[in-house]
Amino acid sequence: MRVLKLLRRGLDGLYLASGIAASLCLIAILTLIVLQMVARWTGEVFPGAPEYAGYAMAAASFLAFANALNRGAHIRVSIVLNAVSPGIRRWINVWCFAVGAAVAWYFVYYAQKFVYFSYKFKDISQGQDKTMLWIPQSTMLVGAIILAIALTDHLLHLLISGDHRIKRDLVDQSFGE
Amino acid sequence: MENVSVIMLFLFVLFLLLGSGVWVGLALMGVAWVGMELFTTRPVGDVMLTTVWRASSSWTLTALPLFIWMGEVLYRTRLSEDMFRGLAPWLARLPGGLVHTNIVGCTVFAAVSGSSAATLTTVGKMSIPELRRRDYPETMIIGTLAGAATLGLMIPPSLTLIVYGVTINESISKLFFAGIVPGIVLAAMFMAYVAIMSFTSKRWNPTPEPRMSFGQKVANSRFLIPVFLLISVVIGSMYLGFATATEAAAFGVIGSLLLAAGQGSLNWRTFTESLMGATRTSAMIALILAGAAFLSLAMGFTGLPRGLADLIAQWDLSRFQLLMVLLVFYIILGMFLDGISSVVLTMAVVEPMVRQAGIDLIWFGIFIVVVVEMAQITPPIGFNLFVLQGMTDHEMGFIARAAFPMFLIMVVMVFVLIAFPEIATWLPDNIRKGPGG
Repeated sequence: MRVLKLLRRGLDGLYLASGIAASLCLIAILTLIVLQMVARWTGEVFPGAPEYAGYAMAAASFLAFANALNRGAHIRVSIVLNAVSPGIRRWINVWCFAVGAAVAWYFVYYAQKFVYFSYKFKDISQGQDKTMLWIPQSTMLVGAIILAIALTDHLLHLLISGDHRIKRDLVDQSFGE
Repeated sequence: MENVSVIMLFLFVLFLLLGSGVWVGLALMGVAWVGMELFTTRPVGDVMLTTVWRASSSWTLTALPLFIWMGEVLYRTRLSEDMFRGLAPWLARLPGGLVHTNIVGCTVFAAVSGSSAATLTTVGKMSIPELRRRDYPETMIIGTLAGAATLGLMIPPSLTLIVYGVTINESISKLFFAGIVPGIVLAAMFMAYVAIMSFTSKRWNPTPEPRMSFGQKVANSRFLIPVFLLISVVIGSMYLGFATATEAAAFGVIGSLLLAAGQGSLNWRTFTESLMGATRTSAMIALILAGAAFLSLAMGFTGLPRGLADLIAQWDLSRFQLLMVLLVFYIILGMFLDGISSVVLTMAVVEPMVRQAGIDLIWFGIFIVVVVEMAQITPPIGFNLFVLQGMTDHEMGFIARAAFPMFLIMVVMVFVLIAFPEIATWLPDNIRKGPGG
């Protein structure tokens, strides 16, 4: 049991840490955009700022996927789920997590290939930034892995204890609608 | 469209995955995968990664988290109190009295927030208890709030318009400006409705407001000055061409943080809460957009968009008829899907149709926003109704009935837009060319 508890704490820590990393990327986006504006006003050039902001955007999104899942921020069509009895709802949820986890692991498999090939062939950004593309791309891979782990985690929890661990937050959700 | 049965299978998978409640973004990826396997021999996984990476790392998208963040920061300030206190003295003498604070409040908050449910929570937090205390009819309080909150999606910044602009590659600033006048017209129509109801309704006898001198009114609304400054900086910088939509969003975040700091409502907790909230919401939308990018690629291979566009061309529908078909289609779709998902899910199919019919895509953006806004206030899953239920403890049925007149007004708005397309297209045609449009 102690091992399981440690695992639980480790995973929760992982989701939180990736969420925090994502929010730091959001601050990075803000900083990059402000720097670019300041550069333009003072007649300087900040080459590659749009590309860097784009990489930060991808990182902010992918690293936050698992955290958003745990807080119920991801949108789903809940009309059938709300209409059926709790017993059936559980099995529909099992199906949803299973499909979700399958899609996520499929994505992870090809993402590691994608990043590996970028690394192997030393792909370089077409923009002014000349970044080695595997560096920003690996944040996508890491985020996708954490999302896949989170979906699997919820699926197992649902199968074993009959309940997933997603807590919905209405205020949180309202900002996306 | 030769292989009808394969297309049927593809659509069946789409409905199965979405309908059973798989998270929209992941469901779209799954459907796209099935489509690619059915219709092409290309290496699906590799194509998926290239598409998703390109869609997720785009610079235009960065406006999204920043505008969400701005709304999150302002939600945690004293803005809703200030708004009611500042607007009430000016609106008390109008026929319809303080119910107008709902509408004007939503219009003002819509100009700093890109979402309609967030507009609803922020304005309603203060106006529901205040209006109840003054004995305004409950249906009017709730109905106008539900209706006017949808302005959050129309008046810039608007998340739905950003998503629409990113999906069809149109300038976001232009879309934003297209939304301003229709938003104000819609607000005016809501206010006219309130005024008429105040004369005709029998249950209309609220407590009158004490008279206030001009000086007192000004004194009461001085707290609104920072918000109006913020709005003019964000919208003005785009209009005058100083800033792109993303840069205006950056101004917005910094301005709202300053505003919160000035009010003393900025501390470590509100800062981190707003930041984490914005991160999650933007991740939610990013997942849908990633799935949608892959799906529209797959849609292209199915031949469905081309086929439907040809079919529409064959039927020889007039523009008006096509718009009516789309109106009904989106209202039905909106009963099951949220606004952003219905826009991204359908644009791959609808865009060629609309282009074929020669409809201006900026104008169509506003049309589609009004239509998906309606879905926010219609059952079964109108999100605004859901939020109002949480705030007022009324039954869903009561709230939906209270909001129904607003739904009808929005239908009228659609026809106004069709009859006078200039209200959406004039302003964007007249903005100054900015850096990168």
